[in-house]
Amino acid sequence: MSESPILSVEAVTAGYGRVTVLHDITLEAGRFGNVGLFGPNGHGKTTLLRTISGLVAPKSGRVVFDGKDITGLSARAIVATGLIHVPQGNKLFPDLTIGDCMALGAYSPRARPHEAENREKVVKLFPKLAERWRQKVRTLSGGERQMVSIGTALMSHPRLLILDEPTLGLAPKIKDELCTAVMDISRGGVPLVVVEQDIEFLLELSRQLFLVDHGAVKTEIRPGESIEHSEIMAMYFGH
Amino acid sequence: MSVFSDIFFGGLFQGSLYAMMAVGLALVWTTIGVFNFSHGVFMMLGAYFAWQLVAFGLPVVIAFPLAVIVMAGAGWILQASVVRPLIGRPNIVLVVVITTLAAGSLIENGALTVWGPRSKQLPSLIEGNTTIAGVGVSLHQIAIIVITPLILAALWSFLNRTRLGLALRAVAQNEDASHLVGLNVTALYGLAFAIAASLAGLAGIFMGGYRFMNPSMGADPLLKALIVVVFGGISSISGPIFAAYLIGFFEAASNYYFGLYWTPALLFLVLIATLMVRPEGIFASRSRGLA
Repeated sequence: MSESPILSVEAVTAGYGRVTVLHDITLEAGRFGNVGLFGPNGHGKTTLLRTISGLVAPKSGRVVFDGKDITGLSARAIVATGLIHVPQGNKLFPDLTIGDCMALGAYSPRARPHEAENREKVVKLFPKLAERWRQKVRTLSGGERQMVSIGTALMSHPRLLILDEPTLGLAPKIKDELCTAVMDISRGGVPLVVVEQDIEFLLELSRQLFLVDHGAVKTEIRPGESIEHSEIMAMYFGH
Repeated sequence: MSVFSDIFFGGLFQGSLYAMMAVGLALVWTTIGVFNFSHGVFMMLGAYFAWQLVAFGLPVVIAFPLAVIVMAGAGWILQASVVRPLIGRPNIVLVVVITTLAAGSLIENGALTVWGPRSKQLPSLIEGNTTIAGVGVSLHQIAIIVITPLILAALWSFLNRTRLGLALRAVAQNEDASHLVGLNVTALYGLAFAIAASLAGLAGIFMGGYRFMNPSMGADPLLKALIVVVFGGISSISGPIFAAYLIGFFEAASNYYFGLYWTPALLFLVLIATLMVRPEGIFASRSRGLA
């Protein structure tokens, strides 16, 4: 694991229109490995990720990825740096086939030379997708769509992968499958930033946790600091 | 026999023109989610550009393709000026109706100022007439009937067989996700408009070759294209293509049996009846997307 943070968010304020969601939020990720973000719904986790990936322009503050200031860059320019964001939900491209989605994942010039090699990785990780390569996304189950989402991101040849609630709303069995796949991706050398409601999974996956509350980091848990499930529940409910 | 072939050729010919117009409208709707009410003006502009180039002395084989290319640029400019600045607004559909109507009106009156009100005519694609199955048809009409499906097929394979076409289809379905795979969404919007304007311009060139041109010649085809698109379903480009030919045949038959006078009323009657049964259009699927 690298000594300097691969991603740092410095005093970022952002929101939609006149509504401010993130208030001066600061965090550093990647110094100790994977990063987990948790916290109550509607407190800015998704907005934070959208700001990092360029979908939302910050009003102030800086986002630095691997030593490069990416504040205010377009989402396309940020994808070109290798910072890849898998958004929440699995709306994706309902009328495209799995194969189409994978081709789109490799759209950026940075990813294109690695297309064949990445496709192999995705198929190995999610053999189910290979069986349904020509099937439209709308016909897939929720878990399969999530696999397509993550697979598409892997096709973009990520240097850092941001996952927004990858197991949201999935049945336990398929959820386990996805969790295993996410761990595999991490072991393959891609650092992760994960937002997740399943704290057990988050604790297993990441060495550094941030509690995001009211648009700011309320608590940071570093490696070596043990944490009990009950403490986290307490943080959620503010005791 | 002659009645049947009369209706058949008439329908095929009208259907080709409608398809050419409607596809552009559907392309813009599916990718950007707006209706382009200056689409009829694009048609007129294409015809006038072609006329101007011919008047400069260029041969038809150069003038017509050149006019189509110039129209692509015109479509891009229109998109950049009156559509792109509004993207992201919650009421974009309505606002763009107004801005494209306004731009269309400006361009139409501009054309009136530049080229004057006197009707003009373009040379035919191919001069001459022939008789097929007992019906006299011009070679110009035959050319349109043959060229249109080729162009639509080319468009279809561009959308379905190339990476850029894939990107256009993706933008049509999910803008955020398109950003996140690194697509240049703004450029793709411009491309959709450019293609739509070229197709409309080509339809204008087709029309200018057998009818007199005037600056408001695009109004009726725009209305027809809207009917076609609503009738066929706006979620794809294949829906409007089928609907265009269907309406072409319907009009040809109705013109023959009920007369020119009743045809528009009947057409709307059929449209209303169809939409009562299938509000999403006859060939539509539920979501937006190009296929």
